Amino acid sequence: MSSSDWPHGYARIVLEETDSTNAEAARRAASLAGPAWILAHRQTEARGRRGRPWESPTGNFAATLVLHPTEPPEQVALRSFVAALALHEACVAVTGRPEGFSLKWPNDVLLNGGKLAGILLESLGQGPRLDHLAIGIGVNLAQAPQVEDPKALRPVALAETGAVVAPEEFLNHLASAYAAWEIRFTGFGFAPIREAWLARAARLGDTITARTMREETTGTFETVDNSGALVLSTPKGRVAIQAADVFF
Amino acid sequence: MTTDQSDGAPKPDNASDIAFVKALAEVLRENDLGELEVERGVKSGSKLSVRISKNAPAPVIANVAAPAAPQAPAAPSAPTAPAAAAAPEAGSDDEDPSSLPGIVNSPMVGTAYLSAEPGAAAFVNIGDTVSEGQTLMIVEAMKTMNHIHAPHAGTVKRILVEDGAPVEYGAPLMVVA
Repeated sequence: MSSSDWPHGYARIVLEETDSTNAEAARRAASLAGPAWILAHRQTEARGRRGRPWESPTGNFAATLVLHPTEPPEQVALRSFVAALALHEACVAVTGRPEGFSLKWPNDVLLNGGKLAGILLESLGQGPRLDHLAIGIGVNLAQAPQVEDPKALRPVALAETGAVVAPEEFLNHLASAYAAWEIRFTGFGFAPIREAWLARAARLGDTITARTMREETTGTFETVDNSGALVLSTPKGRVAIQAADVFF
Repeated sequence: MTTDQSDGAPKPDNASDIAFVKALAEVLRENDLGELEVERGVKSGSKLSVRISKNAPAPVIANVAAPAAPQAPAAPSAPTAPAAAAAPEAGSDDEDPSSLPGIVNSPMVGTAYLSAEPGAAAFVNIGDTVSEGQTLMIVEAMKTMNHIHAPHAGTVKRILVEDGAPVEYGAPLMVVA
């Protein structure tokens, strides 16, 4: 199978425009029989984590994968890493160069140390059973947005590598890569995902900062543990972090 | 770690408290952790709260009376009051919130958010009427936003976590009755 063959069992929905692909996913989830990719050429209300604006100009990639997972929520959340690995693989496939791409906890894909993409997962449902999981993925294929936050990573576009890739072509590579990583995850659990993720991690062993709404933790980026938590070694001891923004 | 304190004996006696803390210290050591905090309900309805840290001079153990549910349906005199105001008041009664009818527990370890984004209105406030499936809050882990839905229609009686607070698996989040 070539890296751009459409994976068996996944629906493919391409829209000219929508508010946001994750919102589109929420509206359609109940009527989807199986996993589905929803791509939009334009998003009028693209959003990042915690409502942050996400610029989504035409030519950049915006799509959401809808899944109906049956595992408990803490397992479902590990698809953050599955999605990051798939996105990393798709970027390598379309550019032909593995060097330059790396991962930032839990699911940012970096190009030459800059922010190339964003992944936002939303799971809807209660208790052990989820209604659906939406994995929203935005990639600066053509152009990088202007970002005002001086602490944020420099935004970069895939075009910097010289690669010219249309969103629908990129989707083919991403869907194929995702399907393969999903099989590894559901078949063998988090261990191979964790190992592959760590092999592509940026700044492992360096001093990094994890910031939450309430506090900041700075320490040596030691590893990612079996639950997916970021493990920092700090003067006060080891700290495992489940939710935070990471700064280099 | 044993859980036998919650069966049989209504309240942990001193000896089992010590055994519990010792067991936790072992977990701390084995996993090379800096600090560990555990909270759990015991049959009497009070809450056992233990925090041990490598850096603290001694383990801290406390039996905290759990907050009580309001006796009457919450009068929505201040429906726009921030959720943080609903933080449990200590010492009213010794009812364990996790045993309350209509309790909504966290399905995962993560960070609780009471609104979709900083500065936005809360998903729900105390006194609000909610329908089944309505989003009450979000618990985030690994950049996965887990929407916590109302398990049934009802009124938001209590909000037991603050915005941005870390929550453990099974932690009581909200009472919808």
